[in-house]
Amino acid sequence: MRKVAYYKGCLASLSAKELDVATRALAPKVGLELEELESVTCCGAGDIHEAEPDYYLHLNARILAYAEATGTDTLMTVCNVCTLNLRQANHALKGDEALLARVNDNLVSVGAPAYSGSVDVLHFLWLVAAGEGYELLKRAAHRGLQGLKIAPFYGCQILRPSKLLGFDDPDRPESLERIIEACGGEAIDYPAKVKCCGFPIIQAREDVALAELVQPIEQAKEAGADAMVTPCPLCHLSLDAWQSKLRKQTGKDFQMPVLHLSQLIGVAAGLSESELKFKRHVVSVEPVVEKLAV
Amino acid sequence: MKVALKIWRYDGATGEKALREYEIEAPEEATLLDCLDIIKDRHDGTLAYRKSCRMMICGSCGMRMDGAAVLACKTRMAEIAASGHVPVISAMGNLPVLKDLVVDMTPFWQKIRAVKPWLDTGYVEPPEKEFVVPQAEMDVIHKESLCIMCGCCVSECNSMEADPDFLGPAALAKGFRFVGDPRDRATVERLQAYSDEHGIWDCTRCYFCNERCPKGVDPRDAIAKLGAEAMREGIDSDMGARHAKWFVTSAKTTGWLRETELVPKTQGVVRSLKEIGFAMSLLRRGKVPPPFPPHVAKDVDEARQLYELVEREGHEGARGIVQLEKPLARLERHEAGYEEAAARGPYGPGSFPKPYLPGENESTEEGAA
Repeated sequence: MRKVAYYKGCLASLSAKELDVATRALAPKVGLELEELESVTCCGAGDIHEAEPDYYLHLNARILAYAEATGTDTLMTVCNVCTLNLRQANHALKGDEALLARVNDNLVSVGAPAYSGSVDVLHFLWLVAAGEGYELLKRAAHRGLQGLKIAPFYGCQILRPSKLLGFDDPDRPESLERIIEACGGEAIDYPAKVKCCGFPIIQAREDVALAELVQPIEQAKEAGADAMVTPCPLCHLSLDAWQSKLRKQTGKDFQMPVLHLSQLIGVAAGLSESELKFKRHVVSVEPVVEKLAV
Repeated sequence: MKVALKIWRYDGATGEKALREYEIEAPEEATLLDCLDIIKDRHDGTLAYRKSCRMMICGSCGMRMDGAAVLACKTRMAEIAASGHVPVISAMGNLPVLKDLVVDMTPFWQKIRAVKPWLDTGYVEPPEKEFVVPQAEMDVIHKESLCIMCGCCVSECNSMEADPDFLGPAALAKGFRFVGDPRDRATVERLQAYSDEHGIWDCTRCYFCNERCPKGVDPRDAIAKLGAEAMREGIDSDMGARHAKWFVTSAKTTGWLRETELVPKTQGVVRSLKEIGFAMSLLRRGKVPPPFPPHVAKDVDEARQLYELVEREGHEGARGIVQLEKPLARLERHEAGYEEAAARGPYGPGSFPKPYLPGENESTEEGAA
């Protein structure tokens, strides 16, 4: 078992609880022992970085410090936006001694642990798409996806900027495809799988966001996908919950089920409904479940 | 070496499109631009593309290779040719194609012009003495000053694809180059103009611009700096700014994002009431967590006190935006054994030249003209 500090972030704590439940249920099957971080806050989602940049750095340093205090070298995330925000802060702090010293002084003065810079921030996807995690995943996915056609949707902030993320080629990523195939599914290829779902501006600029959101869903549908899968709960929220708004805008009712990555692997690994919580999705996952039951 | 290319040919007059394949003999060191020159000189004189300097300075030869915007003169072909892959070359995106690889840059220049890309010093007659700018202050706009206006960022901008009126990454980065310049006297007017409907808050943070920029401008970071400066100046009535502010409020009160209140705080109560039907559809699936009792992070007092501390220290605005090239370069140099090499002296075996990093010589260059 590889012990990792688990930072679930805002969405998996509340509106995307199903992601947290499925990830916890799946973790031991793919060799991960999760130590959940409790004394942590929101990473700021890019918004605090823009509104109060220095506060963003301090909040993220505090998360990294609490992760380090667990004695592990890995902080595991389940959200693209958390991944980018934490990795960005981590690099900034590790690469600038004066900055790290100033932030640490402040952390210690409010009673938080100091951060020495020993933690690596890794998304759950990266832990199961390569190395031992991938070998264990292949074994765990015994139930399989029976050739189900799955459209991988990466989301932006797990690919770009690649100098900070760097696990996949930002234009030709293949980690999700590898996982889909290891689970016995067929990965669908379509151009918008590396594009934006529109979520960051879905409240402030809904029309613009929906014009972005429609592309991956429409292309996945046209390519014959039974479902989409994403490693990001923000992408999941827009792809799943905002799909109904596309009906009004485009006149098309896509009815495209969208799975969290942990759920997709979980299905293949035979997790129960109480561990997958598909009932929490807005677009019904029933057609997928039915296909697999046959 | 043998180089094979597929090029999307396009005739603006007739609207005809065709994917043509070319196979040429080119020197090992050939760039994509060299290959296009060979095609035009020796194989097909009708091929149209833009070029000038051939050395990544003029920004003329932006185009797409396998769907990704590149500068043709910066793209070496040896590895691609050796792999046997035949790349597809096409015109940049988000701009109308005139012929083959030539796009109409008019919309691009209109947006650059819209951000008033000149220094507004606030005086007509020059003062007696020159305006001396400390190096540290120029470092803030160092990256944005590197833009060669090739359009590679605009080509891939996801927001601009959805909203063609979006000012976009190149124009906004140029805007920050002046907002961040201590000699400019139009900062507030600029920030107000850039905060309009198709400005700063239209950016969807897809980071394609940072990924594609051949000069390391990182336009997305420039947009974040504009947002930070706008909020520092109290220009925060746009829904995008209110959205960002709510994250701060959430973090310093409960620690976690107060999701359910985010919609009325961003859109205002009246507008968000129209979303009741939609909210109900989400509520049924547990996607609208009740705001009471609030989800409060353990030890949230630390986050609250940190906010007070940070406010007192005053590192706000664009200067606070993480500038990664410096820490990344330091880390890379560390990994590459630079520090050991540097210790051996500049000309010893295994040494290599030291790259200039903005801000490194702050203490010695402060105040230098």
